[in-house]
Parts: sequence; structure tokens; C-alpha cells
Amino acid sequence: MATTCNITIASDIAPGFGGISESMTLTQAGNLTDIDSTTGFSLRKLSATGAVDLVTMANELVEPKDSVSAKIYIRNIGDGRGNIDKSVGVTIGVNAETIGKLYGGDWMMMPLTCIDADDVTANPDTDNTVVLEYIMFYEEA
Amino acid sequence: MATTTAAVTLSSDLMSANISVSASSTLMKAGTTADGLDQIEYAVLEIATGDEYDLIANTPTATKASKLYVKNHSIDETYFVAVTQNSQAIGKLYGGDWMFIPADFHDAAADIAITSNGGTNKIEYALIHEGTTLLAT
Repeated sequence: MATTCNITIASDIAPGFGGISESMTLTQAGNLTDIDSTTGFSLRKLSATGAVDLVTMANELVEPKDSVSAKIYIRNIGDGRGNIDKSVGVTIGVNAETIGKLYGGDWMMMPLTCIDADDVTANPDTDNTVVLEYIMFYEEA
Repeated sequence: MATTTAAVTLSSDLMSANISVSASSTLMKAGTTADGLDQIEYAVLEIATGDEYDLIANTPTATKASKLYVKNHSIDETYFVAVTQNSQAIGKLYGGDWMFIPADFHDAAADIAITSNGGTNKIEYALIHEGTTLLAT
């Protein structure tokens, strides 16, 4: 079983920047064994400002192993009805720390500690409906 | 307008219904729909084990739409860098791992810091942003 993730960044900001194209296979920490657990693919609809937990580490049915090689993918897919507004976003955080804002259509792939306090949070800019899709990969404790 | 796109494909057979995700985003300045991010800091660094270092030397403008890509090019799967922000542990990038995040830089302490473990890790990063405060000589 394998989980792979590829990224391609293309830009005309600098003529000499040839772009980035990289792939990774998600493995367990410190070895080449494939990562073995996932939350599954989820959608979360938010319709009000205020931070909410996107992932509450202590509530996962399968306890994630702490401080290893977990990753999370999150994407702001707009209002869920095909309307994607690039001018408003959802602020993503870990524990109490703001990581950054996903504007409409933006995505992120980030490592996680999976420590119980390090929940992944989401806080929309506005009360307008916004939908996040996300999936976390982790090692079972 | 400068145009930068970031595309991702994610596939997994961990579930009986295979997961396949594909997405692409044009990276815009904060709050705009017509003006793309237009500045970039791109580097490759070798970081020895030991101290924690700020990955970004300058100070990007806070609370904008900056995006940060980091890859650990170490070929030893036991090597990793621990990534923190404002003393908050984010996670670890083992050899071959990469991350791509929106980076808020909401205050002076909110830089992305990394600590090398196992041995010297070779790190590639690209910060795509819309402004930074350069360090005076």
C-alpha cells in the first residue's frame, strides 16, 4: 500500500526560476515502510467566523502516534457549489498558533505532530459558507 | 501580472476506495482576485545538526498571502528536520518529505524555524510572497 503526493510549482516571477516538481511517498518515521493510517477524506462546511477544530487529535478513533511523520492535506474549495472566491479565506492554525490563510482554491500539505494539544483549527474570514476538504495520514500509536 | 501556480496530486490505496486528489491554485496577493504574488526567495541550504535556525532570513510582510515550500532532500530516511513556528512544533520532514503551506508571519517570532536531526540535512525552500523587510547593512 502506498500513499504518494506530487507538487508542481510554476512561476514567471523570475526568468531563471525553472519551477519545482517533486514527489514524496508518505512513509513511517525513520524507515521506508508506507504510512498505515488515515482519517479518510472529509468535507467540512463552515458558515460562521470563529475558530473550530478541523482535527481534534484526542478524538481520533485510532490514536495517532505522536511526533512522527503525520501529514495533512487541506483545500479551500469555496462554497461547495462551484463558487470559489480568491479574495476571502480560512485561517488554518495548529494549537493556538496561526499558520496561514487558505484563500479560495488554495491548498496546503503540512507535517503534524499529532500531539493531543496540537489540534488543527480553521477560522473563516466571514459568515459566508466555505467548505474545506481534508485528509490526514498518520501512524497508529 | 506575475503568475505562479501550485498543483498537487495525492493518491492513496489505504482505503478500499482509492483516494485520488488533484488540485491547482494560482497564487494571488491577499484579498485580491487579479494580482498575483510577485516576489520569490528560493534557496538550497545544508543544515548541520544542533541549533534551531530561522529558515527565512528576512521578514516577510505579515498576514499576507505568502506561500512556503520546503523539501528535505536528505537521502537517508532516518534524517529529519523538525519544523516549528513561534515555538509551536508543527511537524517533521523526513528525508524526501516536502511541505507547502500558507505562511502568515503574523509577528516577529512567527518565522519558520527548523532543527536538523540525524545528520546534515539538505533543505530546499521557496517563499513566494508579496513583500519583505530587508535587513539593513
